[in-house]
Amino acid sequence: MFGTGYGVRAMLQIFMWIALAGSWNLISGLTGYVSFGHVAFFGAGAYTGAILVAKAGWPWLAAALAGGVGACAVALVIGYPCLRLKGPYFAIAMLGLNEVLRALVSYFEGLTGGGSGLSLPTLHATVPIYYAMAATAAGVTLLTYAIITSRFGLRLMTIREDELAAEAMGIDTARHKLYAFLISAVGPGIAGALAARDQGYIEPISVFPLAMTITMIVMVLFGGKGTVWGPVLGAVVLFVAQELVWARFPYVHQLLFGAIIVGVVLLMPRGVLGILQLRYRLPRTI
Amino acid sequence: MNVVITPAMVGQVVISGILAGALYSLVALGLALIFGVMRVINIAHGPLLMLGAYTTFFLYDLFGLNPYLSIPVTMAALFVVGVVLQRTLVFRVVDAPELSSLLLTFGISIGLVNLAQLAFTSDLRAVEYLTGSFPLGPFAVSKPRLVAFVFAAGVTGLAFLFLQRSRVGKAIRATSQSREVAMVCGIDVGRIHMLTFGLATALAAAGGALIAVIVAIQPEMGQIWTFKSFLVIVLGGAGNYPGALLGGMLLGLIEQMASLFLTTQLSEVVAYVLLVVVLLVRPTGLLGGRQI
Repeated sequence: MFGTGYGVRAMLQIFMWIALAGSWNLISGLTGYVSFGHVAFFGAGAYTGAILVAKAGWPWLAAALAGGVGACAVALVIGYPCLRLKGPYFAIAMLGLNEVLRALVSYFEGLTGGGSGLSLPTLHATVPIYYAMAATAAGVTLLTYAIITSRFGLRLMTIREDELAAEAMGIDTARHKLYAFLISAVGPGIAGALAARDQGYIEPISVFPLAMTITMIVMVLFGGKGTVWGPVLGAVVLFVAQELVWARFPYVHQLLFGAIIVGVVLLMPRGVLGILQLRYRLPRTI
Repeated sequence: MNVVITPAMVGQVVISGILAGALYSLVALGLALIFGVMRVINIAHGPLLMLGAYTTFFLYDLFGLNPYLSIPVTMAALFVVGVVLQRTLVFRVVDAPELSSLLLTFGISIGLVNLAQLAFTSDLRAVEYLTGSFPLGPFAVSKPRLVAFVFAAGVTGLAFLFLQRSRVGKAIRATSQSREVAMVCGIDVGRIHMLTFGLATALAAAGGALIAVIVAIQPEMGQIWTFKSFLVIVLGGAGNYPGALLGGMLLGLIEQMASLFLTTQLSEVVAYVLLVVVLLVRPTGLLGGRQI
């Protein structure tokens, strides 16, 4: 199966989801700030990369890195004010950000092609892009491990447990949250630029779908939020499940997705690894 | 864009803004009730509005029932739907972190939209009952929107009367002020949560019934209303019910004003920037405080 066109494409998707879910975990799993529009960074990276390739003739790898930078820049502009918002307000502000980016991209037609989308020159490089996506997924996972085992990570988790107490202990919470937010935007930015290059065509509705944010959240919740391997586990299991099961029932696909969300939230809010950690006293750095 | 703005245009915009604003207030009051009482942001609020619109459509299409007379029927039907949703699913996340309630209600939301697609197809439907507009001085006033304004104001007024005067209404306000104290006073908080969700859903349904006469009905018509309603309750102050009225009017006016200077796409951006600014500068909303 691997080595064939389908195998490479499926693995490319799995790596993309690992990078996305892992990045969401970095901000929301560690600090507890629910980014309900994280796909905005995927879209920002996709458009940054696609514009550089299509209009400036950049090589795809450089454009992918620029996609990460572009997403990071958006995160800086938005995170600085919005990370002061607490609880549901932050979640909704992020949801709105996604809608706004989509509206802006549709509006600036000269640069982005507007609603009719942006086509990239043909390039047969699925295998190199596949390796780049694998590297992104590995990078996000390694970074998560590095952060969770560091003082920085401990401070982020302190913010999650009790932000007031964290501040009282002298943690500069605003700065820590912002750093975590910036880091969490890079992975989706690169992944977005790579996915755009691979697909060769992007349009506003294909790179800013709310369902994608929800999918990454559910993957993390399923695997276990705040853990290193939870997002990887969730991404692999849910992606495979989607390919095997959901694709066979196209009409009730959304309904099944809704049922899975409800099921994960109600039945296993800690996720697989969270439950195992609790039951078998596994290390926090799993 | 170089457009000359005449006083007549401004007047037109104010009229359209107020007419749209009453609908926003009506729908947002439901979201504000759920948020105030349960601290849950109901993402499914818009899709429930969509169900209300379909109910009105089918009552009109199959039985020829006047869409405005169908409002009580639609409200009653969706009240039951709301109570059932709260009883079966939503009550489990009332005290959970916001991620749980956001995801759960999102799951309900896409479930409802998908069910509507399966049951009613994605075809556009319309209740062609009242169309066109009539002149009022130099202005044109859309007939269905004016009637919607009157009914929206009426239903909102009744809802306020209910909240202010009735025992259940007082219990709902007490619960949203302090759940613990409400319990101590002998209020069955679980039952109040159920009634609140039902009432809020009924308000969304009333909005849906009125909107059914104005715009095309399709399964995905609802989602935008969730975000707009949230915007309204942020403007007015979350948990501040009179604030929802002010917020609705403001959103209506701002949207219409923005459409005068900008394209429709950018008026969404304006609304978003406004949301973030209000949250940062006055997180308690424009009316401030929690005057419930």
